[in-house]
Parts: sequence; C-alpha cells; structure tokens
Amino acid sequence: MYCFLRLSVLLVGLIFSASSYAANAVQPLTTADDLGPKVEQPIEFPHDRHAGDAAKGGMQINCMYCHTYARRSIVAGIPPLQKCIGCHQSIESVRETPRIKKLFEYWEAKKAVPWKKVHDLPDFVRFNHERHIQRFVFAQNKPVQEACGYCHGDVKTMTVARRQKPLSMGWCVSCHQKDHPVDATSTKTTHGPNDCWQCHK
Amino acid sequence: MSITNLLENWSDFRQQHPSDDRPHREYKWAMSIDLDACTGCNACSVACYAENNLPVVGKEKFAHGHSHHWIRIERYWDNDGREFADQGAQFLPMLCQHCESAPCETVCPVGATNHTADGLNSQVYNRCVGSRYCNANCPYKARYFNWYDYPTTDNVWPEPMEQQLNPDVTVRGKGVMEKCTFCVQRLTVAKSNARSEGRSVLDGEVLTACQQVCPTGAISFGNLVDPLAKVGKQWMTQQVELNKDKQAKNAAEEAAKVRGYRILEELRTYPSVMYLEQLRESAI
Repeated sequence: MYCFLRLSVLLVGLIFSASSYAANAVQPLTTADDLGPKVEQPIEFPHDRHAGDAAKGGMQINCMYCHTYARRSIVAGIPPLQKCIGCHQSIESVRETPRIKKLFEYWEAKKAVPWKKVHDLPDFVRFNHERHIQRFVFAQNKPVQEACGYCHGDVKTMTVARRQKPLSMGWCVSCHQKDHPVDATSTKTTHGPNDCWQCHK
Repeated sequence: MSITNLLENWSDFRQQHPSDDRPHREYKWAMSIDLDACTGCNACSVACYAENNLPVVGKEKFAHGHSHHWIRIERYWDNDGREFADQGAQFLPMLCQHCESAPCETVCPVGATNHTADGLNSQVYNRCVGSRYCNANCPYKARYFNWYDYPTTDNVWPEPMEQQLNPDVTVRGKGVMEKCTFCVQRLTVAKSNARSEGRSVLDGEVLTACQQVCPTGAISFGNLVDPLAKVGKQWMTQQVELNKDKQAKNAAEEAAKVRGYRILEELRTYPSVMYLEQLRESAI
C-alpha cells in the first residue's frame, strides 16, 4: 500500500518537475510549423548580403535604411526602386550580375518592382510598426536587428525573407504579457496593451 | 491569455462603472449632442455609412426591420392636432451610448463585448458567436445584427467606387453583432500620433465621422479627462456627471436652467453620451 503511495508521489513530482523544466527551457526561435510559405519574388533579394555581418560578407546596413517608414508609420514600407538604384548605380563591381541587370531593366522601363508580401496579417488586425520600433529601438536602445527580429526572425541570414514566426494572436499576446522596461535605464516595467480594440479593428 | 494574467489584472479587463477609487486614467471618450441644433438632416448617418463600411440592406429588408445605421435619427411627431404637412417633429440622433455599466457587456456568453480602458464599449467581431443576447439587453437598441453577408450581389461598387470603402474598418461577416465604435480607428491613429510626440490627444484633434459632417455642429466629441476639452466643459456647465444616475436637470424643479440629460439614466447604465434638451419649437 505504502509502496503504491510512494510511487504515485514520485510520479507526480517527476511530472511536475518535468513540466516546469519545459516551461523554463529556452524555446527555439523558430519551429518548422511556424515557417511561412516560400514566396517567389521578382528579384531574389539577398538580405544576407545587405544586412548580414561583415565577417560573413554582409554590408551591415541598418534595416531602417531601406524600410524607412518603420519608425514613423504603421507600415515598415518596401523601398522604392530609386533607393536601390541610388546605391547600385555607383557599385560597378556587381553591375553585370543577373539580379542587378534585372533591377536596371525595371529602372529603364520606369516600372516598380512588384515585390510580394511575406508577412501578411489578416485584414482585421491593426499592427503598428512605429509603436514597436519606438519602444524597443529608441526607448530601450535595443539593436535594430534584434528588435525587428522579434517578429521577423533573423532576416540578416536569409536571402529572400520568409515568415519565421506564427504571427498568431496567442503569439502576440505571449509577448504583450511580459514585463518590458520602459526605457534603457529604468527598472520600471510595463506590459503591452491587452485591450481587444488595440489590435482588432 | 493565461489564467494568472487574467486574475492579476482583473480590474483592467473588467472596467465597470466609474468610482472614485478607479477613475479613468488618460482618456474617457464622451460625446454631447445638442438637440436644439439638430435639424434631423441625417448627414451623420450617411457619414457613418461611409466611414464604417456599413452595408445598405435595401428597401425590402428595411421594411422587415433590418438595418445597419450605427447612428439613426429618431423622429418624434408633435401631437398638437396638426396634420402632416404642418405637423412639427423633434429629432434625436441615437447611437451606442458607450455605457460605463453596459447591460450588453454582462450578458455576452463569450466576452465579445468589453469595456476598454478608454471608456469605450468594444465589440470584437472575431469573438462574437451571434447569440444576439447583447442586442436584447440593450435599452437603446443601438446594436445591429448581420443576418446576411454583405454585399449580397456582385459589383455593388462599380470601379472606381470601391475606393471609397474604408480599409481601417473590418467588413463584418454574417452572424456577428455590430454597433457604433466612436470611430475607434480614428481614435487609435490620434492616440498613436500623440504618443509619438509625448503628449495626450488634444481637443479637436480627433473627430468622429458624424461630428465631422454635422452642418450645425450639434455633436461634440472629446476626452472627458482633459480639462480643456469642449465636451467636458459642456458636461460641467450642464452639471451632468458620469457616475450619477440622476442629473441636476431632473433633480429639482428650480434647476430647470440646465438642459443636459442622458437617456434612460434610471437604468444605471451610465452612458457616455449627453443630450441637450430641445428648447425651440419643433421644426416643420
């Protein structure tokens, strides 16, 4: 009889410790289920070459150099073709590569590059880039690539960007529930809003 | 949403009628409608259709009592013996009153209608299952149910007229309840802009669609917490208080100088819309 009791106590304890361990373990940034579909872009834009680390041949360009609206608007913005040409007209070394040739074809035809949307939220969701960038990059002084990476994953290692996170409501809320310091030096923390109408329109 | 979060922040999730120990912090959106200025022109209703993608149900369904006007003009004929052409009428724009203690919120089986921290009565379409209990419990009959998917026919908006639809407002599907939101899409933008500049929303910075088009300026809308807001001054001069169920106008005979009242206050819904009584004679 006591033997059974002991066994059950041990089992309960084991399950409890295992579950609490699982909750504390570092979650992987991306699981296979969260990966979005592969999006075929008109030009295979190499994010790794532009934003990647210098050691890996990247240019370490700030995300907000091209996605310039992220800090001051609801949308992050796809850069206009002028922005690409602005640099690439004076980069002779890659001028004859197939992707850049294609880029200049669009430029000479005076047509915008028809980029496809990768991170597409449902129509009933209101997501504001400005609020998140102002909070994490400007108030908390987080590195830009880290702050963008909370939702977009490690874009500097990708060629064509692909959705890395589930972007579901539960996933948004899991971060809104956490304590975030109000700025870089303060110990005061706040939560993200948990009011339905803040995100649902 | 974990249970611990729900229990710890219960007061944030469940905002009820205001009390001294839990006042509104930053914003309390409120409205006042001057019935003396209202001419019953219906411009507010039309503006609301345009702003909030409201479907037009058509003559036949309207005759069956189906409609989607989030703000409607109620018409009260004078009973002084005069016949139609000479008969006077009074008008009253009726919209969701965004009650502080809303009867609709307590009865929703799935919590699709809640009170926000800004004092709005929110309606979350994704959560609504269409029980229509809220509609039954609303004393103002300001909630509208989607019995059909709209538009019911193709090509309702021939090109380029579909451009007039508002991308900031969801198109509600069949089987959900909808109602006036105090143009929450405009409030969100104004609040975000103000926050970027490190201030609160200024009075007059954000207008609701109905207020914007009212030709006589009968509708004022603003933040009741802001001491400079016109709407707060109006509430104060009319001695209308948010957390009272009987206002100065009705409290004593001699206080007849003030005109402010809220509809069906005795039900203790504590509405956010104040009406100013009509003094002039009825329009003909």
